[in-house]
Amino acid sequence: MSDFDPGRRRFLGHLGLAGMGALGASSFLSACASSASGPTTSNGSGAVTIQSNLSSPQAKEAMEKLIANFNAQGKGKASLNTIASETFRTQLPTYLTSANPPDLYTWYAGSVANDYASKNLLLDVSDVWKSMGDYPESLRTLSTEASGKQVFVPMNNYWWGFFYRKSNFAKWGVQEPKTWTDFLALCETLKSKGVPPIGIGLGDTPWIASAWFDYLNIRINGAPFHRELLAGKQRFDDPKVKAVFTRWREALPYFDPKGKAYPFQEATTALLAGKTGMFLIGTFFADAAPKDALGDLDFFRFPIIDPAVPLAEEAPTDGFFASAKTANPDGTKALLTYLSGVEAQEAYVKASSGIVLPANPKAKASDSPLVAKGKAMLDEAKELTQFFNRDSSDALQPTADTALTKFLDKPDQIDAILREWQAGAEKVFKG
Amino acid sequence: MTATVSTTSVTPTRRRRRSARLSPLLVAFVLVPFAVESIWVFWPALQGFWFSLTRWDGMSPPTFVGTDNYVELTGDATFRGALLNTVIWLVLFGGLSVLGGFGMALVLQKERRGVGFYRAALFTPVVFSLVVTALVWRVFYQPDGIADTLLRAVGLEHLIRPWLADPQTALYAVILPALWRQIGYVMVLFLAGLKAIDPALHEAARMDGANSWQRLRHVTIPQLKGVNAVVLSVIVIDSLRSFDIVWSLTKGGPYHSSELLSTYMYSTAFQSLRLGYASAIAVVIFVLALAVILGYLVRAFREEA
Repeated sequence: MSDFDPGRRRFLGHLGLAGMGALGASSFLSACASSASGPTTSNGSGAVTIQSNLSSPQAKEAMEKLIANFNAQGKGKASLNTIASETFRTQLPTYLTSANPPDLYTWYAGSVANDYASKNLLLDVSDVWKSMGDYPESLRTLSTEASGKQVFVPMNNYWWGFFYRKSNFAKWGVQEPKTWTDFLALCETLKSKGVPPIGIGLGDTPWIASAWFDYLNIRINGAPFHRELLAGKQRFDDPKVKAVFTRWREALPYFDPKGKAYPFQEATTALLAGKTGMFLIGTFFADAAPKDALGDLDFFRFPIIDPAVPLAEEAPTDGFFASAKTANPDGTKALLTYLSGVEAQEAYVKASSGIVLPANPKAKASDSPLVAKGKAMLDEAKELTQFFNRDSSDALQPTADTALTKFLDKPDQIDAILREWQAGAEKVFKG
Repeated sequence: MTATVSTTSVTPTRRRRRSARLSPLLVAFVLVPFAVESIWVFWPALQGFWFSLTRWDGMSPPTFVGTDNYVELTGDATFRGALLNTVIWLVLFGGLSVLGGFGMALVLQKERRGVGFYRAALFTPVVFSLVVTALVWRVFYQPDGIADTLLRAVGLEHLIRPWLADPQTALYAVILPALWRQIGYVMVLFLAGLKAIDPALHEAARMDGANSWQRLRHVTIPQLKGVNAVVLSVIVIDSLRSFDIVWSLTKGGPYHSSELLSTYMYSTAFQSLRLGYASAIAVVIFVLALAVILGYLVRAFREEA
């Protein structure tokens, strides 16, 4: 607009042209999705933009600290945009496909990253991995896409388990169960004491139910079958899948009936207040727990059902991937190298409240007994899975939400539910 | 913009005469918004029709599949459920807000002491955004929340259920807050209509010995014809575009039991990433809205003629 002419006709012409330009560049999708946070760009300035969904107060502060540390080192410049999780999730495809995308993103490893990589949207970060020699092979495999290049840099992972309050278990005089039979017996005892044994929060967060499906499936049919199922290579109406629900039905009478009306945050409150006995949840729930309750928390692994099935645990891995269209690949890789280092990961663990395990094996996790127990559980596992949507896709998650909440309400309709689930999944795989 | 150019190139005498009727400024004020509108509204709408004939995940280029999406719609049980819910919504939400709004307007039309307070109180919910309304009602419906406490207080605790999580009640539990808001709005429209009726008509009817029901039936309602058209269009359009309150209270769940066409379209597009199929649903919504509104307009014109 340097040649701006205040004349009316020129002004209108400018307006029209500006309108055309702005609209020509944006796709149908970006026009539809709310534009609360348009992609911010970094052309020319050299600063790497990092788009972060870590919006809970402690995690956000931790990220800000990391970026400040990186900028202080003088190896490059970075700027952080923190975006509400749900907005981030729906906008991510728009960011990645826009003409001038942000450089780096917080997101998940595995199938989700591979999906974007297969569309050539992710930057090849194999260079960064050369400096990450001490990372375990499992994490490298998780970060590698089909053609063999790395597209993801992990920062930390966490675990899922049955969390409970030590003081409450002592008060009720009960112990951690090891097997499914122990578990059902424990539920029966709690129920006889007037406590709903199993907490759940499906109100706004129906995906919480997927943890039950994942765990029962990897305990009964094993992790390889689970992965194939989620990749569309097995069918949801298979008798092996039905066996999962037969077991689940044994535990159904022990679920907190109020759980389907409130979200997992309120289920956390109910657990902490002793209104439910235990809660199958990931460690992120502790973000919503008051500090003084943290010391009283403990967990046990999902009970063993068939000892012959190799032990697998859910250990969702969080980290970063970068846009293939970044204007500054070198700066982006420098930042990724920093983020994969011991110093950055320890700083993140220290600053964030979440109970997480750093991905870098040399970085120290926080030294609480709870974290040590979680780390030991994951180390013992033969296989790690991510979570339903991370092992399949965000697009498949709604089919699971529908099927699982319906099962919890109407367990006797399981055959019809599984048929519908298979039909829904086929549509998603077909596109 | 071509029109402005051509008017400047014609002979001075003609120009003076034409510009008296149609100044270039006026033309620009029509054409510029039209140009912007066509890029911003008409073009995406047409694109929507095109996308409904494709399979598209929002990232890869769309592939043309003909009428596959529409064929799939006919066999989609969730879509049929959403369609039925939209009809229920139209009838209940539309019908009750007209009845409620009209009733309130009748009660509050006479100037009495304190009537302003009641009018303001009934209109207050309209001021809140629907998402805020949803938050308030969520607290109302939550387990052991105000709704449950009220039921317990009057000895109806056997009715207590997870209102928003029970497929039997979810849709109706969502209609209630939508109504709570809409009634105030419709009331204001009717109040304006009632105020515009000439009091002499009522006076004359009273002289003829008409009781209050007869006056309502034969004087008030026929006189409100103009307002009815406005209310009806507002209601139909609001019903078909109802989305925010359902999305913020139940997201169409549990398992699609409170799904409307609008929420199903949104979740198909942005959660399942099936933008082609979602566009087909959008086209259906558009056709429905058009049918209802055209149907009404045709009738209205015929009555006038």
